[in-house]
This record gives sequence, C-alpha cells and structure tokens, in this order.
Amino acid sequence: MSDKICVGAVAGAFGVQGEVRLKSFTADPEAIADYAPLTTEDGEQSFDLQITRAIPQGFAVRLTGVRSKEEADALKGTRLFAPRDRLPSLPDDEYYHADLIGLAVYDTGGVELGHVKAVLNHGASDLLEVATAGQSATILLPFTLAVVPTVDLAAGRIVTDPPEGLFD
Amino acid sequence: MARSVWKGPFVDAYVLKKAEASRESGRNEVIKIWSRRSTILPQFVGLTFGVYNGRKHIPVNVSEDMIGQKFGEYSPTRTYLGHAADKKAKRK
Repeated sequence: MSDKICVGAVAGAFGVQGEVRLKSFTADPEAIADYAPLTTEDGEQSFDLQITRAIPQGFAVRLTGVRSKEEADALKGTRLFAPRDRLPSLPDDEYYHADLIGLAVYDTGGVELGHVKAVLNHGASDLLEVATAGQSATILLPFTLAVVPTVDLAAGRIVTDPPEGLFD
Repeated sequence: MARSVWKGPFVDAYVLKKAEASRESGRNEVIKIWSRRSTILPQFVGLTFGVYNGRKHIPVNVSEDMIGQKFGEYSPTRTYLGHAADKKAKRK
C-alpha cells in the first residue's frame, strides 16, 4: 500500500496573476482542496491551495508560494500528492481503489493468480482487473462477496473464487 | 423513435437459451454472449454475463435496476482508466 496518493496535477499557468490550472483526480473534483496541503512526488515542495473558479477540465487555483506566471509555468506537469492517512476511513466492504491496486490475487487453493492492476466500474458492479503472470491479457473479476470472499489489506492479498470460464 | 410496446423487449434467442441453461444447472459461471443489443430481462437478475466489447468479455452482474437496459451499455468499447485518487469500490 502506498503512503502517498496522487490527487491532482498542474496543467500550467492560468492568466498572468500567478494562478495555476489544476486537474483534479478525486471522485468529487472540488474535494481536492480538502486534502491540502499537497506535496510534490519527492516531497520537497508543499502547497496549500485555494480554488478561485472552475474552468474547463479543472480549476483555476492559487497555490501558496506561487506569485507569478513564470512560477506557475515552471510547475506545469507537476503531480500533487496527499498522504494516504488523510483519506477518511470507510465502512466494511468498501475500499479505496488506491488500496486495492497492487494486491496479490490468490485462488481458494492458495495458488497465486496475479495482482490487481486497476479497479473499473462500467455501470454494473465494480471490477478488479487482474494482471496474470506471463500473460499480456488481463482478467476482469467482479468485485462481489461471492467472487472475492477475502480482502486482506494488511497481508496485501485477495482470495478469489472465480466463476467457471473466467480464467480460460 | 422508441420501440413499439406490442412487440415486447428484444432478446436474441441464444441469450435466453444460455441463461435458462445456466439457471437450471445452478453453476457459478460467466455466460459468454456477443449480443450487446439484447434487453436485460427480469429472469436474468443474479446471473453473470460476459458481454463482448469487441476485444474481450466484460463480466456484468445483473441486478434489478438494470432491467430494461441493453447489455452493451455495461460493456464499453473504449477504455478510459483515469486515476485512482480517493475513488471507492464497494463489495456487494
């Protein structure tokens, strides 16, 4: 489990007053402000942020310590991270995608099948995309109690009882 | 224009056959189908269909609120992954 989560990225300067164009990756885009202060990937820079307005594909944001267009332009492409422990705790059977991605997947016999590459939702139930060792194709597992009876975040593993034909 | 009510919902015959066979066998399996145009009927609730998206079969667990929609709506043909950030998944 990663201790930092990417919640947004700076897309460039907005205007000439030192505001930046910020892309939010959070489920509720405006909630990115709740996770401030945000840091860069290496943790060297830290920013408080104030959303000034919504713009197409993101927000115009004022970051602490960024006062000119040149400083804002220099941050273009910077990804912003929040500590994992700042995310609120969830009820049983609800998990953050960030926690599920990377978990090892075992079958009920204890054989390792692969690891979780992504979590998808196409409108029905959530799906775990499982990358299997030695294959480029991925397998999609419905994230249900019947198919995924055990999720052990502490041990970093998921136990699955896949329906017939899924791993063929 | 909407489909006439007197015709009833459209479902490919082989989907009905496969669903019935799966229900009778009682096995936990993914029913592979290519018919994205078929309507989801009440008798499909609780079954898992693998709906083809042109590349692979996407598992679709049918629930009550999906009745009347088409299978293709739950199996997108283009993928956008996005970022995980604080997004949540619920195990049902």
